[in-house]
Amino acid sequence: MSARLEVEGVVRAFAGVRAVDGATFTVEPGSITGLIGPNGAGKSTLFNCVSGFLRSQSGRVRLDGRRIDRLAPHRIARGGLVRTFQTPRALTRMTVRDNVLLAAPRHPGERLSRGLVGRTREREAGARAEELLELVGLHGHAEALAGTLSGGQRKLLDLIRALMAEPRILLLDEPMAGVSPTLRVELLAHILALRDRDGITLLIVEHDLEFVMGASDRIVVMNAGQVIADGDPAEIRQDERVLDAYLGSRHGAR
Amino acid sequence: MSALASGDFWAFVGVVAGIYTLLALGLQLQFGFTGLLNFGQVAFMAIGAYTMAILVVKEGLSMWLAAPLAIVVAGAAGLLLGLPSLRLRADYFAIVTIAFSEIVRYVATNEGSLTGGSQGTIALGEIGQAAQYNDQWERFQARVQGWLHVGSKDVAMLVIVWTVAVLALTLVSLAVRTPWGRVLRSIREDEDVAASLGKNVLVYKLQVLVLGSALAGLAGLFYAWQFSFFSPDDFQPLLTFFAWVILILGGTGRVWAVPVGAAVFGFLFAGTRFLDFEPLSSLDSAQRAYVRLIVIGLAIIGLVLFRPQGLLGRRDEMVLE
Repeated sequence: MSARLEVEGVVRAFAGVRAVDGATFTVEPGSITGLIGPNGAGKSTLFNCVSGFLRSQSGRVRLDGRRIDRLAPHRIARGGLVRTFQTPRALTRMTVRDNVLLAAPRHPGERLSRGLVGRTREREAGARAEELLELVGLHGHAEALAGTLSGGQRKLLDLIRALMAEPRILLLDEPMAGVSPTLRVELLAHILALRDRDGITLLIVEHDLEFVMGASDRIVVMNAGQVIADGDPAEIRQDERVLDAYLGSRHGAR
Repeated sequence: MSALASGDFWAFVGVVAGIYTLLALGLQLQFGFTGLLNFGQVAFMAIGAYTMAILVVKEGLSMWLAAPLAIVVAGAAGLLLGLPSLRLRADYFAIVTIAFSEIVRYVATNEGSLTGGSQGTIALGEIGQAAQYNDQWERFQARVQGWLHVGSKDVAMLVIVWTVAVLALTLVSLAVRTPWGRVLRSIREDEDVAASLGKNVLVYKLQVLVLGSALAGLAGLFYAWQFSFFSPDDFQPLLTFFAWVILILGGTGRVWAVPVGAAVFGFLFAGTRFLDFEPLSSLDSAQRAYVRLIVIGLAIIGLVLFRPQGLLGRRDEMVLE
């Protein structure tokens, strides 16, 4: 179920600025790995390279040993690596249920030639969608247009939509951003359950350090496009380079 | 005036509305459901009409064989256009489509040996002979007229065109309700999300472009049969924009909004011929022909002000960002 993700020497430059400059790290199967770093460190660009939305200029990305760095985003998603986006991306003029159903993998009804014969799969997917909607308390809104949901609800919708795609590894881009304190607690519980109950590997970009320190098995720290530290939360807390990157190199001066 | 108000005249208006329905149905599938901006729809109509006429006149093919081939060629042209250009961002794709439609018209104008050039289909055959592609169709139309026991050719045509249009509308409305249609709508909303969930966006866009082009090809066939003669000038970009007007009038994202929009458009477009009372009667008929464009423009302004979702569109969808 869970997948291993290996990122090796990935480089991506925009007009000469190397946003990601040789990042290397591994996400172990069944772990929650936090990816942190100051603004502009290259975290989102790296996410886009890994999920196929940007093409890396050099380096390799492997999913369970298989190279995915030259694959189109939809191929990577079908391979079991699913990502969410930094701002929730509800498909606003579709119902909440359709948002979730859309993600059902291996759906024969999505082929034009067989649109009318995917009934069994559609029922199966419908049952799963119902479960997921119930899980996050959106079942009451299933028939509403997704554009009518609040920001927090959209965050939850994004999460269960990604889960509907049956990921083996899930990349979450700032899941806690813009989320109310009560919802944070709920989201954290869901994320931990994904690892513990479903065995999904998670790679999470997040600025909320309290969340990252609390939830992650490992933490990868990026600065200026490079990985500057990689270890468990206790190690990262002590790491001089991390403190330098976050607080400036003179943080210790008194 | 009395001749204009006759049943035949309104049957003719209905035929034209049916042809526009097929043309705009392609746009509805492409834009209303998938979010593709196609400003070159008329090109595929031209390709359908010309393919049929050329195959019948030059190759001596039966119309019954030439017609489905023409639809296939129009669809294939859509594929040919889409393969290199669909990777472009939406607005650039729109520019390519309008350029494509002008290229098709210019080729039709200048490749006289293939298309008859600016003289139109009458010059398709041997020099000095007026070419006709319509014999078989007129026999069929006369037979339908007999079955229906109607006195007018136009009424027979009305029944044929709308039978085909309703069939096409039904098929499209069934298709968009399937999981396939759900993927289309997701692409319209946010194609990155669709891709992030494993959908091959390009394939869906190509399918929709091909289907919409085939529908335009079908519209081109009826256009050719209705008027018995056409030339490159019949396929001005304005026609594409008439189809867009129909889409806006009816409402986007609703299959059955297309015939409603087409009927309203047809009525406005034809009905303005009756505006020959003072002070408009001081205009000559050619000047009055432009009055209808003003009327349609005013109708669109009114619609955007008071009913931006179109006649059948959903306002609750419209207000969402």
